Amino acid sequence: MIRPVLARRERVLPAVQAFAFLVGIVVALALGLILLWTSGHNPAEVYERMFDSAFMGTDSLSRTLERATPLALTGLSVAVAGSMGLWNIGAEGQMMAGAIVATGVAMMADGLSGPLLIALMIVAGVAGGMVLMVGPALARSHLGVSEIITTLMLVYVAIRVVEWLETGPWKDPESFGFAVIEPVPEQAALPGLFGRANIGMLIALGLLIVFWLAVSRTAWGYELRLAGSSPNTARYAGVSLRRKILTALLLSGGIAGLAGAVQLTGSAARLESGLSNGYGFAGIIVAALALMRPSGVAVVAFVFGAVQVGGQSIQTLGVSSAISDILQAMILFGALVAAVFFNYRIRWTGPAADSSGDQSEEPEEPEPAEDAA
Amino acid sequence: MASSDANHAVWLRGIEKRFPGVIACAGADLRVRPGTIHALLGENGAGKTTMVNVLAGVYRPDGGEVWVNGQRRFFQSPADAIAAGVGMVYQEFRLVPTLTVAENIVLGAAPRVLRSAEIEERVAELSAAYGMAADPTRPVWQLSMGERQRVEILKALWRNASVLVMDEPTAVLTPGEAAELGAALRAMADDGRSIIYISHKLDQVVAFCDEATVLRQGKTVATVDDLQDVDLTVLAEMMVGSSEGGYVDRPPEIEAGPEVLSLQGVSALNDRGLPALTDIDMTVRSHEIVGIVGVSGNGQKELAEVINGLRRPTQGRVTVKQQDVTDMAPGDRYRLGLAYVPEDRLGVGLAPKMSVVDNAVVRSYRSQRRGLMLVMAKCVKFCQDLVERFGVRTGRLNDPIAGLSGGNLQRLLLGRELAEQPAVLVAAQPTRGLDVQGVAAIQSHLVAQRTEGVGVLLISEDLDELLALSDRLLVMYEGRVVTELAPDVTPRSVIGEAMAGQVRA
Repeated sequence: MIRPVLARRERVLPAVQAFAFLVGIVVALALGLILLWTSGHNPAEVYERMFDSAFMGTDSLSRTLERATPLALTGLSVAVAGSMGLWNIGAEGQMMAGAIVATGVAMMADGLSGPLLIALMIVAGVAGGMVLMVGPALARSHLGVSEIITTLMLVYVAIRVVEWLETGPWKDPESFGFAVIEPVPEQAALPGLFGRANIGMLIALGLLIVFWLAVSRTAWGYELRLAGSSPNTARYAGVSLRRKILTALLLSGGIAGLAGAVQLTGSAARLESGLSNGYGFAGIIVAALALMRPSGVAVVAFVFGAVQVGGQSIQTLGVSSAISDILQAMILFGALVAAVFFNYRIRWTGPAADSSGDQSEEPEEPEPAEDAA
Repeated sequence: MASSDANHAVWLRGIEKRFPGVIACAGADLRVRPGTIHALLGENGAGKTTMVNVLAGVYRPDGGEVWVNGQRRFFQSPADAIAAGVGMVYQEFRLVPTLTVAENIVLGAAPRVLRSAEIEERVAELSAAYGMAADPTRPVWQLSMGERQRVEILKALWRNASVLVMDEPTAVLTPGEAAELGAALRAMADDGRSIIYISHKLDQVVAFCDEATVLRQGKTVATVDDLQDVDLTVLAEMMVGSSEGGYVDRPPEIEAGPEVLSLQGVSALNDRGLPALTDIDMTVRSHEIVGIVGVSGNGQKELAEVINGLRRPTQGRVTVKQQDVTDMAPGDRYRLGLAYVPEDRLGVGLAPKMSVVDNAVVRSYRSQRRGLMLVMAKCVKFCQDLVERFGVRTGRLNDPIAGLSGGNLQRLLLGRELAEQPAVLVAAQPTRGLDVQGVAAIQSHLVAQRTEGVGVLLISEDLDELLALSDRLLVMYEGRVVTELAPDVTPRSVIGEAMAGQVRA
């Protein structure tokens, strides 16, 4: 008779979230044991290597941070749209668009000094991301066309444009026939911080803080939250929903474009079709796990980066890349399942539990205790 | 497992239910005999809705026992309760507008093989059995509120409900429809079913019900075995614990001042694109309360929306303080002096998931700024002032506002609208669903605003309220203002006829 049910939490505490997140990862690692054993590896050795290569020592940490930087930016991009209840599924494409425009600027202005060129390229990246978002944003705000589909479709357009540039107009004449684009000028490389980490990380961190402040502490952010949580109340207060949808989506695209420019100047030497490397899509997972909150985006991006670095490092132990990918996927899956427990907890119900005086909860709808609203 | 006393259809015994910061039920009892109509009475927040939600499997109680038809039950979900014969008809109907009556009724409980003709025939039989006319082939969106309610009841009967719970069933009905409902419920009771009837309208309770349970602050304070023996005022006293009357005194005569709101030849469409308002002319002057009378759905909602800029008129002009506002955004109209308490408190007037503070500054957040930043301390101060001035009972100001009771939501909403001395106040159903004290508080605020020189447009379904408060009554019927009446000299029968579209020359 006693069975578990999911009960909605009355208040979501950050500590609970962190704990659920950790438990999810640990459970996933435990399940990973089976995977590693059956594929003939020593799990202890594999996990130790994963942990060491992601966290131990400045070099390891710098690799994790290098990975976390684009994830934090794309995660923020998705979260900006998400705070208005919109889904930007196409950060991957906007990243590419940003990198394309930034590369174009670098080609035209390669005589400039480093800081100036980098600043220009970053502005160009933002513009590129926004340009790719103009269509979906206008279609959503004025015609109600789902931004989920339009943003996703444009991803493939952006990637194909890069492939065309590689083989056509921007093909490097000195590449001995290979279809690659000329590397960005040397002075356009983002200054390093330590190891492989560069100031792109600080840009991401700074943006997260700015966005957090803007949403929680400005009138603009208040309007955004109002429009996202109760559109009719926003209309009543005189907030233009159209304009809010437009700005949220364009900002989202711009931040993803910035991620492209940072990736180009920070880690990748040149524009290529693999530059976005799935970061844009991963940003959706990052934002969802972070519950669309900037603070959460920082944490989740860091963990996500560590999983990627650790997952790659175990290939040197002879673990095949497929097994490594599966292991990474399992960890993320564990974290995603754990996210259910951010808002819900398990309660054992049945006759025995009925008289226990357990805390209250409501299974269907969290209605307030109020008669006849 | 048989009960020691089988003579009940429902026995909720010592029900306890806590919500964050609120004890909704503190050991309340409810016993309903088979074949009776049982009134469940109490003010807002007394625990009525919580009790029936426990019975319907929506909430699991923290303590107490649920017995239905002689068996102890442990409902894990509404589906369990439906299977045990409990049918629930909520205030907000849960119907699919594009499906037909028959399709809505069998949705989720359809036979494996769907034969429309056969289902429609059985639905027709069921509705005929209790005198609830409903054409099974019509889509639900075409139906009136009264017809939709019949569909909800038929849905429960289709699932063989032996216990039917009706939450404020007559709130959406015309007087004629209410009488029909009473007859249908009586027929079901005679058939051996039990009905739990939640209402604030005591005269209807006495007319329809056999017995009653009165809740106050989560406890059962009285049970009445035969309602025919009881005086209305005694029941009211039991509910509130004192015998305060429902309506504030008629305000003293004040000479009306200059015109503050006018509509000139205004027409508008409803959400379905059909004419909702046709050629409306009206004015509201300072120091007066103008009441809009009419059966709901005759354009009142659209009227309030057009005045406040939430709906575009197809023609005509709206002015506030002699200034044309027809093309002005809602926020700018507010700053010009037009305050609005909308019919939908949660969802339009207030954002349910946002905090009490966030909701308090919906109108004034622009003036709580320093540069780009919103000064949180100023917002909190503004909110605390409102809470104190208007006697809002609230928990933490940073918790979502949806946790407040109906009366406190309305106090906060009205307080927010009045915070910056408006010239006009449009109040749509401002006291609907509130308890006696809440009604009195809101009404005395309206009267006080009139004294201070505000022009009030009061849209209400409560005729007594309109008669008590208004200086002038405008009757709306099918999107037109059909006549203007003086509240103190017009017989009710004349008002009733006007509401039905029959205007005496």
